[in-house]
Amino acid sequence: MSPVIEARGVGRVFSHDGADFRAVEDVSFTVGEGEFVTIVGPSGCGKSTLLMMLAGLESVSAGECLIDGEPLRGPQPRKIGLVFQDATLLPWLTAAENVEFPLSLSGEARESRRNRAAALLKLVGLEAFSGHFPHQLSGGMKQRVSIARGLVRDPRILLMDEPFAALDEQHRMKMGEELLRIWTETRKSIVFVTHSLNEAIYLSDVVLVMRARPGRIVDCIRIELPRPRRFEMLGGEYVGRVRNRIWELIAMEVT
Amino acid sequence: MRTLAAQLVCAAALAGLWEAVSRLGLADPSLLPPFSAVCVALWSMLSDAQILADVRVTVIEVAVAFLIAAPLALACGFFLGEKPRWGEVFNPIIDFILAVPQSVFLPLFMLALGTGYSQKIVFGVTHAFFVIAVNTVAAVRTVPRSYVLLARASGASRGQIYRRIYFPAMLPLVLTGLRLGMIFNVTGILLAEMFSSRHGLGRLIFSWGESFQVTRLLAGILLVTLLTIAFNEAMRAWEVRASRGQSAGIAA
Repeated sequence: MSPVIEARGVGRVFSHDGADFRAVEDVSFTVGEGEFVTIVGPSGCGKSTLLMMLAGLESVSAGECLIDGEPLRGPQPRKIGLVFQDATLLPWLTAAENVEFPLSLSGEARESRRNRAAALLKLVGLEAFSGHFPHQLSGGMKQRVSIARGLVRDPRILLMDEPFAALDEQHRMKMGEELLRIWTETRKSIVFVTHSLNEAIYLSDVVLVMRARPGRIVDCIRIELPRPRRFEMLGGEYVGRVRNRIWELIAMEVT
Repeated sequence: MRTLAAQLVCAAALAGLWEAVSRLGLADPSLLPPFSAVCVALWSMLSDAQILADVRVTVIEVAVAFLIAAPLALACGFFLGEKPRWGEVFNPIIDFILAVPQSVFLPLFMLALGTGYSQKIVFGVTHAFFVIAVNTVAAVRTVPRSYVLLARASGASRGQIYRRIYFPAMLPLVLTGLRLGMIFNVTGILLAEMFSSRHGLGRLIFSWGESFQVTRLLAGILLVTLLTIAFNEAMRAWEVRASRGQSAGIAA
């Protein structure tokens, strides 16, 4: 069986004022069915660019991305759900309307759209807030709406670009826990970008470590922790060793 | 609701003060006739066919100028906002022209276009165009790139991106531009009427001033005030609705 996502020697070069900037170079990895993969690395290592290429929103300069074994050409709204760093809810729509937004683009009937949005808001624990506008929601609630929107077309893949970066530590932990629950219920294949080592280890089956200039993957670590995950695991000796290993790889680039 | 009540009380107090100052002889009644007299004059003007004909001329000029200026300015503003290379060249020029008091061009327009309708309308158009265009450019520029990315990831076509993202995101600023454009438009047309016309509300107001008919002059001013406030408030109501959920400051 082919992997759900496969990156084969993917690279991206940006040209600016005649100078080439190699944002991502020769990245290869696979994500299996229902697998949770995290990309971790310092700011500017190209991890967001890589995710945008996997989403079909950014073109590749080299190599190719395959989804279900097929080369990716442009956005795949039915196969890929995307969750952005700052939630990116449309401020003129209510929470429910934001969740419905992708369905409204493909002309789905209002009734089924409503039901689907209601079911997903329930999944993320926001059924009481469907009529609220984004500015009336907290940062964590906005991200929950954004996750519900990412899932609204029942895609097999969820790509998440530092979704909890704007949240404080407590909310971040809480949202991580929530995400694992949703993942367990929906069994999506998830690629999750973060710069938090704890978050990466706590959530993932596999952590890909990236380094900058050029942005490339320098390590691929399978996290041997049982599921369901618990917070106290983060204090254990195993997690400490993995954290140190990642830190040694990226520390010199964190300035 | 309480704010509205307070505002109405203020307006009533102002009218009362006006009435009192005039009646008690604190101000020269020939320069400041009582508020009630002005209201009576306004009422009689509204049943004077001759005056209503002049009002109609002005309203039509204002409407025609706006219907020409607004689509043109929206299209230019959208184009310049969407095409940064063209924008780099033309946006500063539009900003410069916006900063020049348009009234200095009136004598030139009179020479070129005479004193008929076309001169009024062109003068209204040039007044309204630049402020609407500048606001439209700003509106395009403020559409967050992330919204467009989100729409593309959700499978939006190019048309859907314009309709579902650009339009609602731009609407509050565009409406502000249209509202300001209308104010500039009315200013331009009344000015042109005052200096070079045989018809129109501006000409009437000016001639009442020249012939020292202060009561009618003030009634004319009151009429213009009421008309512009009505238009302005209608636009503002639309702005507030359009910016539902968006930063509340825009409509303030």
